[in-house]
Amino acid sequence: MRKWLAIIFLIVLGFFMAKITSSFPFGEEKWGVSRHYVDKGIEENRGSNLVTSIVVNYRGFDTLGEVTVLFLAATALAFLLSTCRCRRRYERREASLIVKTASETLYPLLILFGAYIFIHGHLTPGGGFQGGTVIASAVMLMLLAHFTFHPNHRALSTVEGLAGITFVLIGFAGLIWGGSFLANNIIPLGQWNRLFSAGVIPLIYVAVGFKVGSELSGLITDMIKTTKEE
Amino acid sequence: MVYRALGEFLILVGSLFLFLAGIGLLRMPDVYNRMQTGTKATTLGALSLIMGVGIYHPQWFFKTAIISLFILLTNPVSSHALARASHNKGIPLAEGSVLDRYAEDKERGLKEEENDS
Repeated sequence: MRKWLAIIFLIVLGFFMAKITSSFPFGEEKWGVSRHYVDKGIEENRGSNLVTSIVVNYRGFDTLGEVTVLFLAATALAFLLSTCRCRRRYERREASLIVKTASETLYPLLILFGAYIFIHGHLTPGGGFQGGTVIASAVMLMLLAHFTFHPNHRALSTVEGLAGITFVLIGFAGLIWGGSFLANNIIPLGQWNRLFSAGVIPLIYVAVGFKVGSELSGLITDMIKTTKEE
Repeated sequence: MVYRALGEFLILVGSLFLFLAGIGLLRMPDVYNRMQTGTKATTLGALSLIMGVGIYHPQWFFKTAIISLFILLTNPVSSHALARASHNKGIPLAEGSVLDRYAEDKERGLKEEENDS
């Protein structure tokens, strides 16, 4: 009975979804604002990754909101974890020598890779969020392989705060000298497809990379370290 | 164009090994056997595939060499960790297995501990 209800519900849902989406003009002439992004994006921002131009410049204010949401979520989770008495339901076993050695070898390489991703955010796919996540995964690898590994929490929150402030300050610099918040005309745009190009976009993405990386690392550390042995 | 032919050959070998790994995942009887087909054949399959691409396009050779190095470094370690974890968790070997050196090792370790205390 429940199965049939679910199937009927899905059919009805699918019918209306198809009806709604069939009215969208797919593959035809782009609408106003996306036409502008595609036509003028490279000319206005000199970033060869158009997605980054949109995320960090055209919709930079939105990204600032996203970073803030991430910060709030991390803070709330840290608060919740500090009040709960979470217990581990299983016994943690020391990782083997092979895993320990490999994780020590990989740790700096993974951090380098994460930094590469967010430094080249305006040239290649990926950016601050992705690079930060790669860095956090490196920290998580070390935390899982070594019981004694403990990142410096105070340093992590300092880096996080400074990166957030940098983002906002770049925005205000645009407001003062460029005419609008996060305006991309305060420093030279440079030549298309070069590392030093696209104006403030790489600066903002480096800040976002630092912020996301330190934030997620702190979060993972909290989650692993606050559980107590039974 | 000798190097092109070599690259094509390596890509072919790599895809053959990946195909064998896929069959092995479906056909092997227990976790450990599936793991060894998965990892051994993937290491060799992916490695020769990627290096084949690097030889076919020589300007990518450096990048593909680095990717292969990463696979060489990570894949065996992760499969080792998975196999160790499943053995410690007590997942049984397939029927007809004749050798379990890790279990023997652990037993010996326990006995030595008893003797020490």
